[in-house]
Amino acid sequence: GRRMKSTAPRSTLRKIIKKHKPQLRLAGNADLLAWLFYFTFKQDCPGVVVHLNFLLFLHRLAEEARTNAFENKSKIIKPEHTISAAKVL
Amino acid sequence: PMQLLRPKTAPKRLRTSQKKPREPQVPRSLIKEIFRHFAKMPVTRDAFQIVEKCSERYFKQLSDDLEAYSRHAQRKTVEAADLEVLMRRQGLVTDKMPLRVLIERFLPLEYRRLLIPVALSGNKVTPCK
Repeated sequence: GRRMKSTAPRSTLRKIIKKHKPQLRLAGNADLLAWLFYFTFKQDCPGVVVHLNFLLFLHRLAEEARTNAFENKSKIIKPEHTISAAKVL
Repeated sequence: PMQLLRPKTAPKRLRTSQKKPREPQVPRSLIKEIFRHFAKMPVTRDAFQIVEKCSERYFKQLSDDLEAYSRHAQRKTVEAADLEVLMRRQGLVTDKMPLRVLIERFLPLEYRRLLIPVALSGNKVTPCK
């Protein structure tokens, strides 16, 4: 099938976090790899990691909703399926 | 240098009168696309609205969590490590499923390059630019 476009709206992600927490800053120098490679690099990767987390959240939500739909012998995902999926998460 | 000297072009007049500053949010189309991709089955319009609401709540929760983690470390800045801790707590990152694997599985190449430097032969590691 078609590859899913999964480029992160990075500035948007930052803005969203800023909206909730105006005083909170997302690191420009992520030391994400410090624990992987024991070296630090200067790059605003957290935005990407936030996006990854969001992707995984949607992934979980979709899987749960899908399971609920199957259990109700439904061929489409309906609101109630997503609502009960959200409650599980 | 030369680009700085160029006069700025006047912004195009918007046909709509005075657009209100919108709340920052992830584009609906993107949420739809991602969810549909993962759902692998038809999704009703109302169900998508629930997904959007959940996404908003998710970001609110995420902001709270990240603040808590960075404050705990007495920082004002969220670092990638905070997110890893969070994902461990969410059960997304485990010993069997390290962050690297998630990054490789879910993110497009350009981001993988950002997050995982390419180990070259000769034991050199190329940091992201």
